[in-house]
Amino acid sequence: MKQRAKVLVLTGYGLNCDIETAHACEQAGARADRVHINDVISGAANLSDYQMIVFIGGFSWGDDHGAGVIQAVRMKKHAGDRIATFVEDGNLVLGICNGFQTIVNMGLLPGFDNDYQTRATALTYNDCGNFRDDWVHLAIDSESPCVFTRGMTHVELPIRHGEGKLVAAEETLSRLKQNRQVVCRYASSDGSAANGRFPENPNGSMDDIAGICDPTGRIFGLMPHPEAYNHPTNHPDWSRRKEDLPPAAGLQIFKNAVDYMSR
Amino acid sequence: MPHRLEIALKPELLDAEGRQVKKKAAAYFNMDITSVRCVHILTIDKDFSAAQCRVIKDDIFTNPVTQFSSYGPLDIDFDWCVWVGYRPGVKDNPGETAVEAIEDVTGETFASGESVYTSLRYCISSDKMNIDDARLIAEELLSNDIIQQVRVFSAAQWNRQEGVGIVIPKVMLDHVPTVTTIPIDTDETVRKVSDERNLALNENDIPVIRAYFNDPGVKTEREKAGLSDPTDVEIEYISQARSDHCNHNTFQGRFVYRDRTTGQTEEIDNLFKTYIQSPTLALAEKKDWVVSVLWDNAGVGRFDADHYYVITGETHNSPSNMEAYGGAITGIVGVYRDPLGTGKGSKLVMGSYGYCVGERNYTGELKPRLHPRRLLDGVIEGVRDGGNKSGIPTPFGQVIFHPGYMGKCLVFVTALGIMPSLVNGAPAEQKTTSPGELIVMCGGRVGKDGIHGVTASSESFSENTPAGHVQIGDPYTQKKMHDFLLEARDEGLIQYITDNGGGGLSSSIGETARFSGGCHVHLEKVPLKYEGLDQWEIWVSESQERMTVAIRPDDEQRFMALSEKHAVESTVIGTYTDSGKLHITYNDTPCAYVNMDLLTRGFPQWVFEAEWIDPEDRGLYEPVLSEPSDYATLLCDMMARPNICAKEWIARQYDHEVQGGSVIKPLVGKYRDVNSDAAVLRPVLTSEKGLVFSQAVIPFYSAIDAWHMTACTIDEAVRRLLAVGGNFEHIGGVDNFCWPNIQYDPAKNPDGKFKAAQLVRSCRAMAGICGQWEIPLLSGKDSMYVDGHLPGAYGEHHKVSALETLQFSVTGVIEDIKKCVTMEVKRPGDLVYILGETRNELGASEYYERFGYTGRNVPRVDAVSFIPLYKAVNQIVNDALAASIHGIYRGGLGVHLALCAVGGDLGISLDLSRVPAAGTLSNDALLFSESAGRFIVTVRPENKDAFEAIFRGLPCACAGTVTEERILDISAIDKYPLCSVPVADLRYAWKKPFGDLL
Repeated sequence: MKQRAKVLVLTGYGLNCDIETAHACEQAGARADRVHINDVISGAANLSDYQMIVFIGGFSWGDDHGAGVIQAVRMKKHAGDRIATFVEDGNLVLGICNGFQTIVNMGLLPGFDNDYQTRATALTYNDCGNFRDDWVHLAIDSESPCVFTRGMTHVELPIRHGEGKLVAAEETLSRLKQNRQVVCRYASSDGSAANGRFPENPNGSMDDIAGICDPTGRIFGLMPHPEAYNHPTNHPDWSRRKEDLPPAAGLQIFKNAVDYMSR
Repeated sequence: MPHRLEIALKPELLDAEGRQVKKKAAAYFNMDITSVRCVHILTIDKDFSAAQCRVIKDDIFTNPVTQFSSYGPLDIDFDWCVWVGYRPGVKDNPGETAVEAIEDVTGETFASGESVYTSLRYCISSDKMNIDDARLIAEELLSNDIIQQVRVFSAAQWNRQEGVGIVIPKVMLDHVPTVTTIPIDTDETVRKVSDERNLALNENDIPVIRAYFNDPGVKTEREKAGLSDPTDVEIEYISQARSDHCNHNTFQGRFVYRDRTTGQTEEIDNLFKTYIQSPTLALAEKKDWVVSVLWDNAGVGRFDADHYYVITGETHNSPSNMEAYGGAITGIVGVYRDPLGTGKGSKLVMGSYGYCVGERNYTGELKPRLHPRRLLDGVIEGVRDGGNKSGIPTPFGQVIFHPGYMGKCLVFVTALGIMPSLVNGAPAEQKTTSPGELIVMCGGRVGKDGIHGVTASSESFSENTPAGHVQIGDPYTQKKMHDFLLEARDEGLIQYITDNGGGGLSSSIGETARFSGGCHVHLEKVPLKYEGLDQWEIWVSESQERMTVAIRPDDEQRFMALSEKHAVESTVIGTYTDSGKLHITYNDTPCAYVNMDLLTRGFPQWVFEAEWIDPEDRGLYEPVLSEPSDYATLLCDMMARPNICAKEWIARQYDHEVQGGSVIKPLVGKYRDVNSDAAVLRPVLTSEKGLVFSQAVIPFYSAIDAWHMTACTIDEAVRRLLAVGGNFEHIGGVDNFCWPNIQYDPAKNPDGKFKAAQLVRSCRAMAGICGQWEIPLLSGKDSMYVDGHLPGAYGEHHKVSALETLQFSVTGVIEDIKKCVTMEVKRPGDLVYILGETRNELGASEYYERFGYTGRNVPRVDAVSFIPLYKAVNQIVNDALAASIHGIYRGGLGVHLALCAVGGDLGISLDLSRVPAAGTLSNDALLFSESAGRFIVTVRPENKDAFEAIFRGLPCACAGTVTEERILDISAIDKYPLCSVPVADLRYAWKKPFGDLL
């Protein structure tokens, strides 16, 4: 019998979406361990036991000096080499919200030309000037190499952040687009581009970008929370359409990851 | 040499933080600002080499994509520059995480006294502002002098090399810790000491304290321990334990209640025992889901066979009134420690808020410390950061505006947790301490924080004395501790756990040592934020984010290893004993040696005179008011009233979905913009069961009678819970009383007796209804001094007292979350039913308030007669017969019908003549009476018969239909059209007042 894919869900230092992220992985058919950042650093947890790392949502180190900044510094300094090897070995990395902010600051994204060190994109303060919790429509580029969104064209997910505005130099943006690394964009309910319009684009993100991947499609970061749509009743409209309740679409991202790991 | 690093966003990027300042300056002070750019400053008080400084700057604190930075002042143009930094000793959370990051990257450890201090510099461009304007923004928008210091520079004054200078707000006490002996030769001496030291000892407690320390037996024992007269540590211990905050002397008091109308007098010995404890214990016997009540930090009920839920509610009023952000964040983070310290520890799953403040746009003469608008902003942000950064959803809350809260605001914070029913095979709700176990303090360090609450005066501060009386909660430190303690719990390492809140170690150790029968605490082992604290200060400091844990000596190594893994500081500071003594030493110097049972005997009960005068004798009457003719405008104006209108901006800044179990969100409906009756969440992700939560605060009715205020508040909370699908047979309640001072004083509190009578009546009403509806009070708290003295126009001061206020929270278990119902109408053609009887009860209603009336016909709750209706509501949820259910609350049927239509973005056509009513009511009474016990339910036509069968014999009538056309169309009692209002107009009116706030 084939072994279940194993996922390492990072915890500690103010991260807070560990239980639901692990739950979503399990729902998708993986085995998930919640592992403290310090157990990764000390080596108590061995990355080679896993096929995917999830950098999860939360407020690591209180997000006091830019969201995900200190977590990135710490991971890069103490486990950077092992994470690089993990990526080289063909494994998956998913960064959600604070995790997205972290892997961007580590330089795992955008990962142009096999460079997984350089910070070329940033996630900064929402234009609205505040933390915001709302559901958004995402239009997914089905041509993207991203393995997490295969077969998906559209999904609704919650966002919950104060620093989700993606910023990059013009040149970086055009490379991202050219490589089809822009995986998902904030959109209107009919799937058309949000074009920066609030609240469809909740943070003023350049080009409505909500999530990007590396050129291999194995590293994916996004601001919305797929793990928070793990049950049909998570959707804000569920009580309005009880007769034909759609399945929890956030899980599809984890199922795609599991499919890829079990390939 | 210290280094000052300045960091800012690149000029081409929008500075959202700066834009908020600009927006607020325009909205609050009508000030015309072109732009504001923010510069974040880190003042690193430690030597680093040039190479290290570069690493710190580039590798940690500067984002190459978005930011630029420099160790010199950044060259950003301004007309005015406002610098804001903390005062010494104020918790600087970003400063602490900066230390962590710098230590990690450089490998160097910050020595004691070395630190990082954060501050902010606002570069304001405006050619319209003068120095007074700049100062106004600095003081009334950007800083609060209790915790912060400011400097204002004009462009001309600015020194491009020096910038703001190097400001190091380091605490330097230069004081040798000293234990002081307190003389007790006469009552007068003790009274004097109490005044000097700000102990607030009760007059009647003084002889009891003296008698104890003068007892020959006690004296002999104390001599052996090296002590004679009481020490300041001991007196402080007694003072805090006897305080109303810790000991609830008011609720434990004896009330002599006289009804002036009937002339009858009766005595109530102990409100708590009479109206809360005994009814709840009786119900706990009856309701098998009640697991643990009335002794622990929070109440415990059964969620399922393997899990218990935990609930409690708190207020944090006085500190929030002084420093809104700091007070509120400390409040929410603090209440989260209660479930964490319940049983052997619970995981936090939810928080809620209730804010009562003065009118947001107050323009009158009184000068509160913080304008209500600013206070509300700060409170909202404090709870936002406290909840969001703790990773705990905040899916419910309410705001009440009333001039009575200008004297002191109310900040209610409620917390729910979940724990496994068994920990290591033993019942999770049970715990005790045993002799030989170690006393461990976990989490934050101890400073001069919160000593003697907020009485310290700000005038006496020097540059380096800590501003300790107002705190800033630290959710980051607490979240780490939360995760650590739950892991330790699951390994069976925790024998007892409780939080350090009011009274600090004095309270947490004093209470936990009662189980083992004694303790020996080594105060010198307590980790301090800075040196120089006296022993008594260490003992009673209320520094936040700390838990006290009892562990077995054999578990020490494992416990400490886990603590280290989670980067949490834990320290063994003593041992539990069975000596019968609270024994405290500091490097072998005796500090305290008193009997454990000292506090539980001999102290006299407080006594209150209560005098009730009924509304008629107080001169209240119904207004003489004819029916309006323009109902359309009236309805829109009602929707726009501050206590009715939309407050979406608050709910959206609170993470209400973290932990992945959101079922019913705070905002529902087609456009997700209308308030839900209650919140439902799935605390155990593998289960289809839900936890429902709601709360109500309707203080307005206290203007007529706090009895009915209480009854209506409980009724509203319960109906909110029922509306989404909560089970009437399983409701746990939490009472939070906030009352003005009830101690009569002919000059200072002339209506004290009346307010005392209101409290007695409120407690009676609560006991009555909770008894009839079988709601055990799982937890509760009281805050008894909601008064303030505000300066007026001519240097005079006015005492402003809050309305007698009760927040009542309810929770329960939902068997199948998929049966939950939301409030918005769902489909055209659905039938609209009104459940419950509308009576002529406009007293203290929103409608009367619109015209400045109070009236007398306050809504009444007929608890017993409501029961069949409430059970029938359960039945229709269970049988899936209701498309929508919504309670009728403040504002009455008109307002709530409108909300159902706005939520569904559909129309409703309603015939007022068919609404169940007591007698013949006028149209305005039918639309705006706030009678209790009512719902609006919509039902699909095919379910009509099944639905009506359930309500046979109950006040229920089909009074209208849901329409495709988005119009609220109401016909009058005489069947003529009364009004026809587009739903879009109702939505616009409802959202307009606070619509542009984000």
